[in-house]
Amino acid sequence: MKRAVISGMGVVTALGDGLDGLLEGLHAGQSAVQRMPGWEDYKGLRSLVGAPLQLKNEKAIPRRNRRSMGRMSIYAVQAAEQALADAAFDREQLSGGRVGCVIGSTMGGAQALTEAFEIMIPERDLSLLNSMKFFQCLSHTAAMNVSQYLGITGYVAATCAACVSSLQAIGLGLDLVRSGRQDAVLCGGSEELHPTVTATFDILFATSSGFNDNPRETPRPFDSRRDGLVCGEGCGLVLIEEYEHAMARGIRPWAEILGYDTNAGGTHVSQSNRDGLRICMANALRDADLKPENVDLISAHATGTLQGDAEEAGGIADLFGEDTPVSGLKGHLGHTLGASGAIELAATLGMMRDGVICATRNLHTPGKDCAGIRHVTDPLENHFQTVIKNGSAFGGINAALICRLMNH
Amino acid sequence: MNRSEIIEKTNAVFEESFEIAPEQLIPTAHVFNDLGLDSLDTVDLVVALQKKFTVSIRDDARIREIRTLNDIYDFIATIISETPNS
Repeated sequence: MKRAVISGMGVVTALGDGLDGLLEGLHAGQSAVQRMPGWEDYKGLRSLVGAPLQLKNEKAIPRRNRRSMGRMSIYAVQAAEQALADAAFDREQLSGGRVGCVIGSTMGGAQALTEAFEIMIPERDLSLLNSMKFFQCLSHTAAMNVSQYLGITGYVAATCAACVSSLQAIGLGLDLVRSGRQDAVLCGGSEELHPTVTATFDILFATSSGFNDNPRETPRPFDSRRDGLVCGEGCGLVLIEEYEHAMARGIRPWAEILGYDTNAGGTHVSQSNRDGLRICMANALRDADLKPENVDLISAHATGTLQGDAEEAGGIADLFGEDTPVSGLKGHLGHTLGASGAIELAATLGMMRDGVICATRNLHTPGKDCAGIRHVTDPLENHFQTVIKNGSAFGGINAALICRLMNH
Repeated sequence: MNRSEIIEKTNAVFEESFEIAPEQLIPTAHVFNDLGLDSLDTVDLVVALQKKFTVSIRDDARIREIRTLNDIYDFIATIISETPNS
Protein backbone atom coordinates (compact mmCIF):
# COMPACT_ATOMS: atom_id res chain seq x y z
CA MET A 1 0.00 0.00 0.00
CA LYS A 2 1.37 3.41 -0.98
CA ARG A 3 1.64 6.34 1.42
CA ALA A 4 -0.42 9.50 0.89
CA VAL A 5 0.31 13.09 1.84
CA ILE A 6 -1.55 16.36 1.70
CA SER A 7 0.64 18.48 -0.55
CA GLY A 8 -1.64 21.49 -0.94
CA MET A 9 -4.75 23.03 0.60
CA GLY A 10 -7.26 25.67 -0.46
CA VAL A 11 -10.25 27.17 1.31
CA VAL A 12 -12.95 29.68 0.52
CA THR A 13 -14.65 30.72 3.75
CA ALA A 14 -16.62 33.55 5.29
CA LEU A 15 -13.78 34.52 7.60
CA GLY A 16 -11.24 35.83 5.11
CA ASP A 17 -9.25 35.26 1.94
CA GLY A 18 -7.76 31.81 1.64
CA LEU A 19 -6.18 29.82 4.43
CA ASP A 20 -4.25 32.80 5.80
CA GLY A 21 -7.46 34.84 6.10
CA LEU A 22 -9.26 31.94 7.74
CA LEU A 23 -6.47 31.39 10.29
CA GLU A 24 -6.33 35.09 11.06
CA GLY A 25 -10.08 35.12 11.70
CA LEU A 26 -9.94 32.02 13.89
CA HIS A 27 -7.09 33.31 16.01
CA ALA A 28 -8.93 36.64 16.39
CA GLY A 29 -12.01 34.75 17.59
CA GLN A 30 -14.21 36.14 14.83
CA SER A 31 -17.68 34.88 13.94
CA ALA A 32 -19.16 34.79 10.43
CA VAL A 33 -22.69 34.29 11.74
CA GLN A 34 -25.28 36.97 11.07
CA ARG A 35 -29.03 37.42 10.87
CA MET A 36 -30.11 36.57 7.32
CA PRO A 37 -32.16 39.29 5.56
CA GLY A 38 -35.43 38.00 4.14
CA TRP A 39 -35.47 34.68 5.95
CA GLU A 40 -38.29 35.90 8.20
CA ASP A 41 -40.51 35.71 5.10
CA TYR A 42 -40.50 31.91 5.30
CA LYS A 43 -43.41 30.76 7.44
CA GLY A 44 -42.31 28.34 10.10
CA LEU A 45 -38.58 28.90 9.70
CA ARG A 46 -37.41 29.40 13.27
CA SER A 47 -33.68 29.84 12.68
CA LEU A 48 -32.98 33.19 11.00
CA VAL A 49 -29.19 33.08 11.21
CA GLY A 50 -26.50 31.89 8.83
CA ALA A 51 -22.82 32.29 8.04
CA PRO A 52 -22.73 33.61 4.45
CA LEU A 53 -19.75 34.59 2.35
CA GLN A 54 -19.55 36.98 -0.55
CA LEU A 55 -18.45 35.85 -3.99
CA LYS A 56 -15.21 37.54 -5.01
CA ASN A 57 -13.39 37.71 -8.32
CA GLU A 58 -15.75 35.23 -9.94
CA LYS A 59 -15.35 36.92 -13.31
CA ALA A 60 -11.73 35.81 -13.34
CA ILE A 61 -13.29 32.52 -14.45
CA PRO A 62 -14.14 32.85 -18.16
CA ARG A 63 -17.89 33.02 -18.88
CA ARG A 64 -17.76 29.83 -20.98
CA ASN A 65 -16.56 27.94 -17.89
CA ARG A 66 -18.56 29.94 -15.35
CA ARG A 67 -21.96 29.54 -17.03
CA SER A 68 -22.36 26.01 -15.63
CA MET A 69 -21.32 27.03 -12.12
CA GLY A 70 -23.47 28.00 -9.18
CA ARG A 71 -21.87 29.56 -6.12
CA MET A 72 -20.60 26.30 -4.72
CA SER A 73 -18.77 25.44 -7.94
CA ILE A 74 -17.18 28.89 -8.08
CA TYR A 75 -15.99 28.42 -4.49
CA ALA A 76 -14.60 25.02 -5.51
CA VAL A 77 -12.70 26.38 -8.51
CA GLN A 78 -11.18 29.12 -6.37
CA ALA A 79 -10.20 26.64 -3.65
CA ALA A 80 -8.76 24.30 -6.29
CA GLU A 81 -6.60 27.10 -7.66
CA GLN A 82 -5.29 27.75 -4.15
CA ALA A 83 -4.58 24.06 -3.45
CA LEU A 84 -2.68 23.54 -6.70
CA ALA A 85 -0.63 26.69 -6.14
CA ASP A 86 0.04 25.68 -2.52
CA ALA A 87 1.27 22.29 -3.75
CA ALA A 88 3.30 23.84 -6.60
CA PHE A 89 1.67 21.17 -8.74
CA ASP A 90 2.46 21.08 -12.47
CA ARG A 91 -0.85 21.75 -14.22
CA GLU A 92 0.19 19.80 -17.29
CA GLN A 93 -0.08 16.64 -15.17
CA LEU A 94 -3.78 17.24 -14.58
CA SER A 95 -4.70 15.99 -18.03
CA GLY A 96 -2.58 12.85 -18.00
CA GLY A 97 -5.19 10.57 -16.44
CA ARG A 98 -3.21 10.09 -13.21
CA VAL A 99 -4.88 12.95 -11.30
CA GLY A 100 -8.46 12.76 -10.03
CA CYS A 101 -11.04 15.03 -8.45
CA VAL A 102 -13.55 14.02 -5.76
CA ILE A 103 -15.70 16.82 -4.34
CA GLY A 104 -18.83 16.27 -2.30
CA SER A 105 -21.78 18.31 -1.09
CA THR A 106 -25.06 17.80 0.71
CA MET A 107 -27.45 18.34 -2.18
CA GLY A 108 -25.64 20.03 -5.06
CA GLY A 109 -26.49 23.62 -5.91
CA ALA A 110 -29.46 24.57 -3.72
CA GLN A 111 -29.93 27.99 -5.33
CA ALA A 112 -30.03 26.60 -8.88
CA LEU A 113 -32.26 23.72 -7.84
CA THR A 114 -34.74 26.14 -6.31
CA GLU A 115 -34.66 28.39 -9.39
CA ALA A 116 -35.21 25.43 -11.71
CA PHE A 117 -38.26 24.29 -9.77
CA GLU A 118 -39.61 27.84 -9.50
CA ILE A 119 -39.47 28.13 -13.29
CA MET A 120 -40.74 24.68 -14.15
CA ILE A 121 -43.36 23.68 -11.60
CA PRO A 122 -45.96 26.50 -11.27
CA GLU A 123 -47.15 26.29 -14.90
CA ARG A 124 -45.69 22.86 -15.70
CA ASP A 125 -43.65 24.75 -18.32
CA LEU A 126 -39.95 24.42 -19.05
CA SER A 127 -39.80 26.83 -21.99
CA LEU A 128 -38.08 29.45 -19.82
CA LEU A 129 -35.53 27.04 -18.35
CA ASN A 130 -32.02 27.78 -19.57
CA SER A 131 -29.51 25.16 -20.58
CA MET A 132 -27.16 25.62 -17.65
CA LYS A 133 -29.55 25.41 -14.70
CA PHE A 134 -29.24 21.69 -14.17
CA PHE A 135 -25.45 21.76 -14.59
CA GLN A 136 -25.46 24.21 -11.67
CA CYS A 137 -27.54 21.99 -9.39
CA LEU A 138 -26.33 18.45 -10.09
CA SER A 139 -25.09 16.51 -7.10
CA HIS A 140 -21.64 16.37 -8.72
CA THR A 141 -21.69 19.96 -9.96
CA ALA A 142 -18.55 21.02 -8.07
CA ALA A 143 -16.50 17.96 -9.07
CA MET A 144 -17.68 18.27 -12.67
CA ASN A 145 -16.98 21.98 -12.95
CA VAL A 146 -13.56 21.83 -11.27
CA SER A 147 -12.44 18.93 -13.46
CA GLN A 148 -13.71 20.70 -16.60
CA TYR A 149 -12.07 23.98 -15.65
CA LEU A 150 -8.71 22.41 -14.83
CA GLY A 151 -8.76 19.71 -17.50
CA ILE A 152 -8.56 16.87 -14.98
CA THR A 153 -9.00 13.56 -16.82
CA GLY A 154 -8.55 10.94 -14.09
CA TYR A 155 -11.09 9.64 -11.55
CA VAL A 156 -13.85 12.25 -11.09
CA ALA A 157 -16.68 11.67 -8.61
CA ALA A 158 -18.86 13.26 -5.96
CA THR A 159 -19.51 11.98 -2.48
CA CYS A 160 -22.97 12.98 -1.25
CA ALA A 161 -23.38 11.97 2.37
CA ALA A 162 -24.46 15.34 3.75
CA CYS A 163 -22.13 16.58 6.49
CA VAL A 164 -19.43 13.94 5.99
CA SER A 165 -19.26 14.47 2.21
CA SER A 166 -15.84 16.10 2.22
CA LEU A 167 -14.31 13.63 4.68
CA GLN A 168 -15.63 10.79 2.54
CA ALA A 169 -14.17 12.55 -0.52
CA ILE A 170 -10.78 12.65 1.19
CA GLY A 171 -11.23 9.01 2.21
CA LEU A 172 -11.96 8.00 -1.37
CA GLY A 173 -8.99 10.03 -2.59
CA LEU A 174 -6.84 8.30 0.00
CA ASP A 175 -7.94 4.89 -1.26
CA LEU A 176 -7.21 5.89 -4.87
CA VAL A 177 -3.69 7.04 -3.98
CA ARG A 178 -2.92 4.17 -1.62
CA SER A 179 -3.96 1.64 -4.25
CA GLY A 180 -1.85 3.29 -6.94
CA ARG A 181 -4.82 4.07 -9.21
CA GLN A 182 -4.03 7.81 -9.06
CA ASP A 183 -0.88 9.79 -8.33
CA ALA A 184 -2.87 12.67 -6.88
CA VAL A 185 -6.51 13.52 -6.18
CA LEU A 186 -8.03 16.89 -5.48
CA CYS A 187 -10.52 16.17 -2.68
CA GLY A 188 -12.95 17.95 -0.42
CA GLY A 189 -16.37 19.52 -0.31
CA SER A 190 -18.27 22.64 -1.27
CA GLU A 191 -21.55 24.02 -0.04
CA GLU A 192 -23.80 27.02 -0.48
CA LEU A 193 -26.03 28.61 2.13
CA HIS A 194 -29.71 28.71 1.22
CA PRO A 195 -32.92 28.83 3.25
CA THR A 196 -34.02 25.48 1.82
CA VAL A 197 -30.90 23.92 3.33
CA THR A 198 -31.41 25.49 6.75
CA ALA A 199 -35.07 24.43 6.56
CA THR A 200 -33.99 20.79 6.26
CA PHE A 201 -32.57 21.01 9.77
CA ASP A 202 -35.12 23.50 11.08
CA ILE A 203 -38.08 21.17 10.65
CA LEU A 204 -36.19 18.62 12.74
CA PHE A 205 -35.63 21.20 15.51
CA ALA A 206 -31.87 20.86 14.96
CA THR A 207 -31.18 24.53 14.20
CA SER A 208 -30.33 27.34 16.59
CA SER A 209 -33.35 29.60 17.02
CA GLY A 210 -32.73 31.33 20.33
CA PHE A 211 -30.04 33.72 19.14
CA ASN A 212 -31.67 35.35 16.12
CA ASP A 213 -31.09 38.76 17.71
CA ASN A 214 -27.58 37.87 18.93
CA PRO A 215 -26.25 35.83 16.03
CA ARG A 216 -22.59 35.88 17.03
CA GLU A 217 -23.45 33.97 20.22
CA THR A 218 -24.42 30.89 18.23
CA PRO A 219 -23.71 28.08 17.46
CA ARG A 220 -22.28 26.98 20.80
CA PRO A 221 -20.40 23.68 20.39
CA PHE A 222 -20.53 21.55 23.57
CA ASP A 223 -21.82 24.55 25.60
CA SER A 224 -24.57 24.24 28.20
CA ARG A 225 -26.61 26.91 26.36
CA ARG A 226 -26.28 25.39 22.89
CA ASP A 227 -29.57 25.20 21.02
CA GLY A 228 -28.71 23.90 17.55
CA LEU A 229 -26.63 24.35 14.45
CA VAL A 230 -26.22 27.35 12.14
CA CYS A 231 -25.69 26.69 8.44
CA GLY A 232 -22.74 28.25 6.65
CA GLU A 233 -21.08 27.93 3.26
CA GLY A 234 -17.72 27.65 1.59
CA CYS A 235 -15.27 25.15 0.18
CA GLY A 236 -12.28 23.22 1.41
CA LEU A 237 -10.02 21.16 -0.86
CA VAL A 238 -6.82 19.26 -0.28
CA LEU A 239 -4.50 17.78 -2.87
CA ILE A 240 -3.73 14.23 -1.79
CA GLU A 241 -0.55 13.01 -3.43
CA GLU A 242 1.35 9.76 -3.38
CA TYR A 243 4.30 10.16 -1.01
CA GLU A 244 7.11 9.32 -3.43
CA HIS A 245 5.48 11.41 -6.15
CA ALA A 246 5.50 14.41 -3.82
CA MET A 247 9.03 13.76 -2.59
CA ALA A 248 10.32 13.49 -6.16
CA ARG A 249 9.00 17.01 -6.77
CA GLY A 250 11.01 18.29 -3.84
CA ILE A 251 8.04 19.86 -2.08
CA ARG A 252 7.25 20.04 1.61
CA PRO A 253 3.82 18.44 2.20
CA TRP A 254 1.51 19.62 4.93
CA ALA A 255 0.79 16.25 6.44
CA GLU A 256 0.70 12.53 5.91
CA ILE A 257 -2.73 10.88 6.02
CA LEU A 258 -2.27 7.93 8.32
CA GLY A 259 -5.75 6.51 8.76
CA TYR A 260 -9.39 6.79 7.78
CA ASP A 261 -12.71 5.13 8.36
CA THR A 262 -16.35 5.75 7.62
CA ASN A 263 -19.21 3.75 9.09
CA ALA A 264 -22.85 4.00 10.11
CA GLY A 265 -24.52 3.84 13.49
CA GLY A 266 -27.39 1.83 12.11
CA THR A 267 -29.88 3.03 14.71
CA HIS A 268 -31.50 6.32 13.65
CA VAL A 269 -32.01 8.26 10.44
CA SER A 270 -31.08 11.68 11.86
CA GLN A 271 -29.28 11.08 15.15
CA SER A 272 -25.67 10.09 15.65
CA ASN A 273 -24.68 7.78 18.50
CA ARG A 274 -21.58 7.56 20.63
CA ASP A 275 -20.90 3.93 19.87
CA GLY A 276 -20.94 4.40 16.11
CA LEU A 277 -18.57 7.35 16.32
CA ARG A 278 -16.29 5.58 18.80
CA ILE A 279 -16.05 2.56 16.51
CA CYS A 280 -15.32 4.82 13.55
CA MET A 281 -12.49 6.61 15.36
CA ALA A 282 -11.13 3.27 16.65
CA ASN A 283 -11.14 1.87 13.11
CA ALA A 284 -9.28 4.94 11.85
CA LEU A 285 -6.69 4.48 14.61
CA ARG A 286 -6.29 0.82 13.62
CA ASP A 287 -5.86 1.87 9.98
CA ALA A 288 -3.16 4.30 11.11
CA ASP A 289 -1.58 1.70 13.41
CA LEU A 290 -1.87 4.17 16.29
CA LYS A 291 -3.20 4.10 19.83
CA PRO A 292 -5.45 6.81 21.30
CA GLU A 293 -2.52 8.24 23.28
CA ASN A 294 -0.65 8.88 20.01
CA VAL A 295 -3.24 11.52 19.01
CA ASP A 296 -2.44 15.09 20.11
CA LEU A 297 -5.66 16.79 19.09
CA ILE A 298 -9.27 15.96 18.24
CA SER A 299 -10.99 18.24 15.73
CA ALA A 300 -14.60 17.57 16.60
CA HIS A 301 -17.67 17.70 14.38
CA ALA A 302 -19.45 19.59 17.20
CA THR A 303 -22.29 21.32 15.38
CA GLY A 304 -23.90 22.77 18.52
CA THR A 305 -26.93 20.46 18.51
CA LEU A 306 -28.17 19.07 21.81
CA GLN A 307 -28.07 15.43 20.83
CA GLY A 308 -25.13 15.38 18.42
CA ASP A 309 -22.62 17.13 20.66
CA ALA A 310 -23.49 14.94 23.65
CA GLU A 311 -23.09 11.76 21.61
CA GLU A 312 -19.79 12.92 20.13
CA ALA A 313 -18.44 13.92 23.54
CA GLY A 314 -19.46 10.51 24.83
CA GLY A 315 -17.77 8.67 21.98
CA ILE A 316 -14.58 10.71 22.43
CA ALA A 317 -14.61 10.17 26.21
CA ASP A 318 -15.04 6.43 25.73
CA LEU A 319 -12.02 6.15 23.43
CA PHE A 320 -9.68 8.99 24.39
CA GLY A 321 -10.62 9.87 27.96
CA GLU A 322 -10.14 13.41 29.17
CA ASP A 323 -6.50 14.17 28.31
CA THR A 324 -6.60 14.85 24.56
CA PRO A 325 -7.69 18.41 23.63
CA VAL A 326 -10.99 18.61 21.72
CA SER A 327 -11.47 21.61 19.43
CA GLY A 328 -14.53 22.75 17.43
CA LEU A 329 -14.66 25.47 14.76
CA LYS A 330 -18.37 25.83 13.99
CA GLY A 331 -18.77 28.65 16.50
CA HIS A 332 -16.66 30.71 14.08
CA LEU A 333 -17.80 29.41 10.69
CA GLY A 334 -21.21 27.92 11.26
CA HIS A 335 -21.80 24.43 9.90
CA THR A 336 -20.52 24.36 6.34
CA LEU A 337 -22.13 20.92 6.01
CA GLY A 338 -20.58 18.91 3.19
CA ALA A 339 -17.58 21.23 3.15
CA SER A 340 -17.01 21.29 6.90
CA GLY A 341 -14.68 18.32 7.19
CA ALA A 342 -12.18 19.61 4.64
CA ILE A 343 -12.39 23.27 5.72
CA GLU A 344 -11.88 22.36 9.37
CA LEU A 345 -9.09 19.91 8.52
CA ALA A 346 -7.24 22.63 6.58
CA ALA A 347 -7.77 25.15 9.37
CA THR A 348 -6.63 22.70 12.02
CA LEU A 349 -3.47 21.71 10.14
CA GLY A 350 -2.75 25.42 9.71
CA MET A 351 -3.17 26.05 13.44
CA MET A 352 -1.02 23.02 14.27
CA ARG A 353 1.72 24.39 12.02
CA ASP A 354 1.50 27.67 13.95
CA GLY A 355 1.52 25.82 17.29
CA VAL A 356 -1.69 27.43 18.59
CA ILE A 357 -5.21 25.98 18.52
CA CYS A 358 -7.93 28.61 18.89
CA ALA A 359 -10.54 28.35 21.59
CA THR A 360 -13.87 26.76 20.65
CA ARG A 361 -15.91 29.91 20.11
CA ASN A 362 -19.05 30.33 22.24
CA LEU A 363 -18.03 27.46 24.51
CA HIS A 364 -18.10 29.07 27.93
CA THR A 365 -19.64 26.45 30.21
CA PRO A 366 -19.46 22.91 28.85
CA GLY A 367 -22.74 21.07 29.12
CA LYS A 368 -22.93 18.35 31.74
CA ASP A 369 -23.82 15.96 28.95
CA CYS A 370 -20.56 16.93 27.18
CA ALA A 371 -18.31 16.28 30.19
CA GLY A 372 -15.43 13.84 30.41
CA ILE A 373 -13.37 15.33 27.59
CA ARG A 374 -10.79 18.13 27.50
CA HIS A 375 -12.44 21.14 25.89
CA VAL A 376 -10.32 23.93 24.36
CA THR A 377 -11.85 26.97 26.07
CA ASP A 378 -8.74 29.15 25.71
CA PRO A 379 -6.13 29.28 22.94
CA LEU A 380 -3.89 26.27 23.41
CA GLU A 381 -0.18 26.31 22.57
CA ASN A 382 1.62 23.04 22.01
CA HIS A 383 3.76 21.06 19.59
CA PHE A 384 0.83 19.32 17.91
CA GLN A 385 1.73 16.52 15.51
CA THR A 386 -1.20 14.15 15.06
CA VAL A 387 -4.88 15.06 14.70
CA ILE A 388 -8.08 13.10 14.24
CA LYS A 389 -10.85 14.91 12.35
CA ASN A 390 -14.39 13.73 13.03
CA GLY A 391 -17.60 14.08 11.08
CA SER A 392 -21.17 12.86 11.42
CA ALA A 393 -24.13 13.06 9.04
CA PHE A 394 -27.77 12.22 8.48
CA GLY A 395 -28.21 8.49 8.28
CA GLY A 396 -26.04 7.99 11.34
CA ILE A 397 -22.97 8.09 9.09
CA ASN A 398 -19.60 8.87 10.65
CA ALA A 399 -16.16 9.57 9.26
CA ALA A 400 -12.78 9.97 10.94
CA LEU A 401 -9.46 10.95 9.37
CA ILE A 402 -6.04 10.92 11.03
CA CYS A 403 -3.19 13.12 9.80
CA ARG A 404 0.33 13.78 11.03
CA LEU A 405 1.97 17.11 10.35
CA MET A 406 5.13 16.93 8.20
CA ASN A 407 8.17 19.16 8.25
CA HIS A 408 6.43 22.22 9.60
CA MET B 1 -42.42 48.39 -30.71
CA ASN B 2 -40.15 50.20 -33.14
CA ARG B 3 -36.84 48.89 -34.48
CA SER B 4 -34.63 50.96 -32.19
CA GLU B 5 -36.43 49.49 -29.17
CA ILE B 6 -35.94 45.97 -30.56
CA ILE B 7 -32.23 46.67 -31.08
CA GLU B 8 -31.87 48.11 -27.60
CA LYS B 9 -33.62 45.19 -25.89
CA THR B 10 -31.82 42.55 -27.96
CA ASN B 11 -28.44 44.10 -27.27
CA ALA B 12 -29.32 44.19 -23.56
CA VAL B 13 -29.80 40.41 -23.68
CA PHE B 14 -26.28 39.98 -25.07
CA GLU B 15 -24.80 42.28 -22.43
CA GLU B 16 -26.73 40.79 -19.49
CA SER B 17 -26.72 37.10 -20.40
CA PHE B 18 -23.45 36.73 -22.30
CA GLU B 19 -21.32 39.59 -20.94
CA ILE B 20 -20.64 40.96 -24.45
CA ALA B 21 -19.24 44.49 -24.50
CA PRO B 22 -21.62 47.06 -26.10
CA GLU B 23 -19.05 48.09 -28.72
CA GLN B 24 -19.08 44.53 -30.13
CA LEU B 25 -22.83 44.65 -30.70
CA ILE B 26 -22.91 45.83 -34.30
CA PRO B 27 -25.67 44.60 -36.66
CA THR B 28 -23.29 42.57 -38.83
CA ALA B 29 -21.72 40.75 -35.86
CA HIS B 30 -21.93 36.97 -36.33
CA VAL B 31 -23.47 35.41 -33.23
CA PHE B 32 -21.04 32.45 -33.17
CA ASN B 33 -17.89 33.67 -34.95
CA ASP B 34 -17.79 37.26 -33.66
CA LEU B 35 -19.68 37.15 -30.37
CA GLY B 36 -18.44 33.71 -29.28
CA LEU B 37 -21.72 31.96 -28.50
CA ASP B 38 -21.97 28.17 -28.91
CA SER B 39 -24.83 25.70 -29.24
CA LEU B 40 -25.57 25.66 -25.49
CA ASP B 41 -25.66 29.46 -25.47
CA THR B 42 -28.27 29.48 -28.20
CA VAL B 43 -30.66 27.65 -25.87
CA ASP B 44 -30.16 30.40 -23.32
CA LEU B 45 -30.40 33.10 -26.00
CA VAL B 46 -33.86 31.85 -26.96
CA VAL B 47 -34.95 31.77 -23.29
CA ALA B 48 -33.61 35.29 -22.70
CA LEU B 49 -35.30 36.67 -25.83
CA GLN B 50 -38.59 35.03 -24.82
CA LYS B 51 -38.39 36.72 -21.44
CA LYS B 52 -37.30 40.09 -22.81
CA PHE B 53 -39.99 40.34 -25.51
CA THR B 54 -42.66 38.13 -23.89
CA VAL B 55 -42.88 35.95 -26.97
CA SER B 56 -42.77 32.22 -27.63
CA ILE B 57 -40.07 31.34 -30.18
CA ARG B 58 -38.59 28.11 -28.84
CA ASP B 59 -40.17 25.88 -31.48
CA ASP B 60 -39.95 28.36 -34.36
CA ALA B 61 -37.87 26.79 -37.16
CA ARG B 62 -36.76 30.24 -38.38
CA ILE B 63 -34.39 30.46 -35.41
CA ARG B 64 -32.06 28.08 -37.21
CA GLU B 65 -31.52 30.62 -39.96
CA ILE B 66 -30.18 33.27 -37.59
CA ARG B 67 -26.51 34.13 -38.06
CA THR B 68 -26.05 37.83 -37.20
CA LEU B 69 -27.46 40.33 -34.75
CA ASN B 70 -29.34 41.92 -37.63
CA ASP B 71 -31.00 38.55 -38.31
CA ILE B 72 -32.24 38.57 -34.71
CA TYR B 73 -33.59 42.12 -34.99
CA ASP B 74 -35.45 41.12 -38.17
CA PHE B 75 -36.73 37.89 -36.63
CA ILE B 76 -38.05 39.60 -33.50
CA ALA B 77 -39.71 42.31 -35.61
CA THR B 78 -41.41 39.60 -37.66
CA ILE B 79 -42.55 37.70 -34.58
CA ILE B 80 -43.98 40.85 -33.03
CA SER B 81 -45.78 41.77 -36.24
CA GLU B 82 -47.32 38.28 -36.37
CA THR B 83 -48.52 38.51 -32.78
CA PRO B 84 -52.17 39.59 -32.45
CA ASN B 85 -52.61 43.04 -30.88
CA SER B 86 -48.86 43.66 -31.09
